[in-house]
Amino acid sequence: MNRLEKIRNFCIVAHIDHGKSTLADRLMEYTDTVTKRDLSEQMLDSMDIERERGITIKLTPACMKYKYNGEVYTLNLIDTPGHVDFSYEVSRSLVACEGAILVVDATQGVQAQTLANVYLALDANLEIIPVINKIDLPSADIVGTKKEIEDIIGIPCDEACEISAKTGLNIESVLEAVIKNVPSPKGDENAPLKALIFDSYYDSYKGAVSLVRIFDGIVKAGDEILFMQTNKSFTVTEVGIFTPNASAIDQLRAGDVGYIAASIKNVSDTKVGDTITLKNNPVEKALDGYKEATSVVFCGIFPLDGDKYQELQDALEKLKLNDASIHFTKETSLALGHGFRCGFLGLLHMEIITERLEREFNLEIITTAPSVEYKVYDNKGKVYDVTNPSEMPPMASISKMEEPIVNMEIITPKEYLGGIMDLCSDRRGVYHDMQYIDANRTKLIYTMPLNEIVYDFFDKIKSISKGYASMDYELAGYQDSQLVKLDILLNGEICDALSIIVHKDKAYQRGRALCERLKTVIPRHLFEIPIQAVIGGKVIARETISAMRKDVLAKCYGGDVTRKRKLLEKQKEGKKRMRRLGSVDLPSEAFVSILKLDD
Amino acid sequence: MSDEENRPLGLYIHIPFCNKKCDYCDFVSYSMDRKAQQLYLEALFTEIDMMKSKFYDRVFDSIFIGGGTPSIVYEGFIASLARKIYSSFHFLEKTEFTIEVNPSSFTREKFLEYVQAGVNRISVGVQCIDEKLLREHGRIQSMENIEDTFKMLNSSQFPNINSDVMIGLPGQTVNSVMDTIDYLLKQNIKHISTYTLQIERHTMLYSKLRKGKISPMKDKTMVAIYNQINKTLEKAGFVRYEISNYAKPGFECKHNLKYWDDEISYLGLGVAAHSYIDGYRYYNTKRLDTYIDNLSEGKSPIYSREYVSDEERRTERIMLSLRTKKGLNLEKFKKDFNEDLLRSRSDIIKKMTDKKMIEVKDNFLRIKDDYFAVSNSIIVELI
Repeated sequence: MNRLEKIRNFCIVAHIDHGKSTLADRLMEYTDTVTKRDLSEQMLDSMDIERERGITIKLTPACMKYKYNGEVYTLNLIDTPGHVDFSYEVSRSLVACEGAILVVDATQGVQAQTLANVYLALDANLEIIPVINKIDLPSADIVGTKKEIEDIIGIPCDEACEISAKTGLNIESVLEAVIKNVPSPKGDENAPLKALIFDSYYDSYKGAVSLVRIFDGIVKAGDEILFMQTNKSFTVTEVGIFTPNASAIDQLRAGDVGYIAASIKNVSDTKVGDTITLKNNPVEKALDGYKEATSVVFCGIFPLDGDKYQELQDALEKLKLNDASIHFTKETSLALGHGFRCGFLGLLHMEIITERLEREFNLEIITTAPSVEYKVYDNKGKVYDVTNPSEMPPMASISKMEEPIVNMEIITPKEYLGGIMDLCSDRRGVYHDMQYIDANRTKLIYTMPLNEIVYDFFDKIKSISKGYASMDYELAGYQDSQLVKLDILLNGEICDALSIIVHKDKAYQRGRALCERLKTVIPRHLFEIPIQAVIGGKVIARETISAMRKDVLAKCYGGDVTRKRKLLEKQKEGKKRMRRLGSVDLPSEAFVSILKLDD
Repeated sequence: MSDEENRPLGLYIHIPFCNKKCDYCDFVSYSMDRKAQQLYLEALFTEIDMMKSKFYDRVFDSIFIGGGTPSIVYEGFIASLARKIYSSFHFLEKTEFTIEVNPSSFTREKFLEYVQAGVNRISVGVQCIDEKLLREHGRIQSMENIEDTFKMLNSSQFPNINSDVMIGLPGQTVNSVMDTIDYLLKQNIKHISTYTLQIERHTMLYSKLRKGKISPMKDKTMVAIYNQINKTLEKAGFVRYEISNYAKPGFECKHNLKYWDDEISYLGLGVAAHSYIDGYRYYNTKRLDTYIDNLSEGKSPIYSREYVSDEERRTERIMLSLRTKKGLNLEKFKKDFNEDLLRSRSDIIKKMTDKKMIEVKDNFLRIKDDYFAVSNSIIVELI
């Protein structure tokens, strides 16, 4: 048996919570890659946000050794991020593999995300190994789940592994299935180097490290390598594999999965999807499928305390070291002062980053309403990409506008179908198809404007379906749309941070809801404060916060002086934490309120 | 500082005894027998002895005996206390001497005792003449007690009577408050202290509120009440010389005025009393037993002391002086804090002046009458 025949490169695809990480841990344990004790420590090291939500954003690949029929096989497990926001990264990880384990929870069956990822795996021509998980649970329906996989995905399941990743039941059967069914990689060690970057991370000693699959050739320390997309070259300082900690080896050869370090300062030079080759002996053509990571969702991020601007910048830069897909540029808002306009791969990505800013960097931040990228055409035919409502050209100069749309798939138990369809049509969704998955569940297919789902769509789907429905979407280009910029005036002054771009049919409803909400969150002032929702100079909704009538008239004795002074100092402190716009003090809840409008 | 040290001081003495605590009260008070009162008086004497040497070169011009219920202590207590303080501190000839009395325990004998002791100002804790409300809030005096008290004071033509009026009792209406004011105006009083009920933690009222048995008065009602009181008292010749105090000209409470002037010191004696002396604040222990025990062992009853920093002093100056009709002396402020408020806060001062919330006149900044109700917010803009 030659070297390549003893290598298997594979990944695991699954819906959130179906047991992907647990299975990965078990595989490492059964191949003696890690001990049980290390595993629990590893779990503790992972990000809080991931653990809380039961999702995996990034997990290092693992190189495992497993003895089967007297031969020692190298099994490279490549992780794929489990969320639609990262579907490009998923697609690159899949290209690095020859097979995929499809994990389906026997108590829940096939879900929207399972489908999305399986289709990606099939597109990448991977051998799919179905694994039915959680068979130890009383509510497990093994036969039904298998039938579902066969009916919906079209993969035969007579030999599917039936396991419990939690208890460790039948884990060996998975390892054997991988060895038996996943094809071994092909490649030519003597051809010019061709390596695919499927992920990268920043290490404070090694710099930006590329996670690669070597398709052809050999790479070793001292080699001069060329990144074909960025056209930059570096000298390799170290190559290695993950066992699961990074450990240096002499060389990586065709078929291998490992890492390349070359004292690279920025992860933006190690782009996912890029091809690495040797500078002196380059491959003729880079690997297909490279895409720039594009931001889909945008929002402003401002420090709650204006003095923390520099700290916020430092924090964003640190996060970007490890995540080249975050984009940020300086933004100045009249209401919020100095901050950053940030672009994200999707909503989850945005939430993760804002949460990390708060938790890991201890920053209190204000985020403005998430926006998408609109295309605005002016009268002269010029096109503007508008991601920030305050940068929208005047209405009079606009000839047309386009907004991004998505193809949306929602899988739901039948009883929630009505509620979900109502929600979709309320969100300007265009119905395309409805498919019956089984007697109980239905798949809905819609086209929807992205700006209708960036607020709270996912939360709404979950609440309508009591958590049972799942959704997945992919960008599907742009469409013409009647959009308007809705401004909020407080005491006659525009509060730029509260402006939103909204479809004209929804502007009135949104404007009214916003005014009502703001009335409840802005405290009474010494003066009356009119709140107005305005489109192009026309007031469409109005509320008034009446002036404060009374604060305190209490008697003041000698002993009260300190207490009273402290009370006033506290009141003053509270005011300082608010944002002042003209003569109006805005608490940070005012900016949050825009995100949580119950239509 | 020498200027401060030259101005006459105020003397406050706390009498921490009550027959029964009112539901809204969070002042320190204990219901105790004669024995406890005697021990307390002894402790007060010891505290006075400790203090007198420190004040041998200072002059006082006001005494205020407050509580609790000072009129509840046994006959002779106040007289003996008065003798003690006269022999320990120096007083100006025109010293104002106030005692708080509750109509339910204020007798003819006590009245005579107080007058003989030098009391020249009596503050009657009327609060409200609605007997139903009084009962609901655990105050023990009856209308008959109130009538008797004023009959007694007026038949002897006692010249300087104050009365406290409480505003904001749950269930109280504009009419009920105005009935009280009208009644008091007929009693020849010279001074009215109004105060709005604050529902403090650790009071009966607070727990009633928490249980949803009562609801606090609406701001709108309270403002309406104040407007009505302003109108009525102004017509009757009273001046609102401080947020919560009205007086006929010449009858402003000298002692209270000291509290709103950060340059005047006052000495507080007794359990839970506070002192402000030459820029320091002192707090006596709130516990009666600790107070008595400490003093019987010759130890100080002071529980804590703090120096008021320049920054805090600045805040207190604004906060306290803006409570008064006189307002904030801008010239003096500039001199003392090296800050021209008209410049450092020019925007907001202009805005508030335009809205007629405040006025700047003859180098004084003051809150206009109609806006006293939102004084906290105005003060916060300036501190």
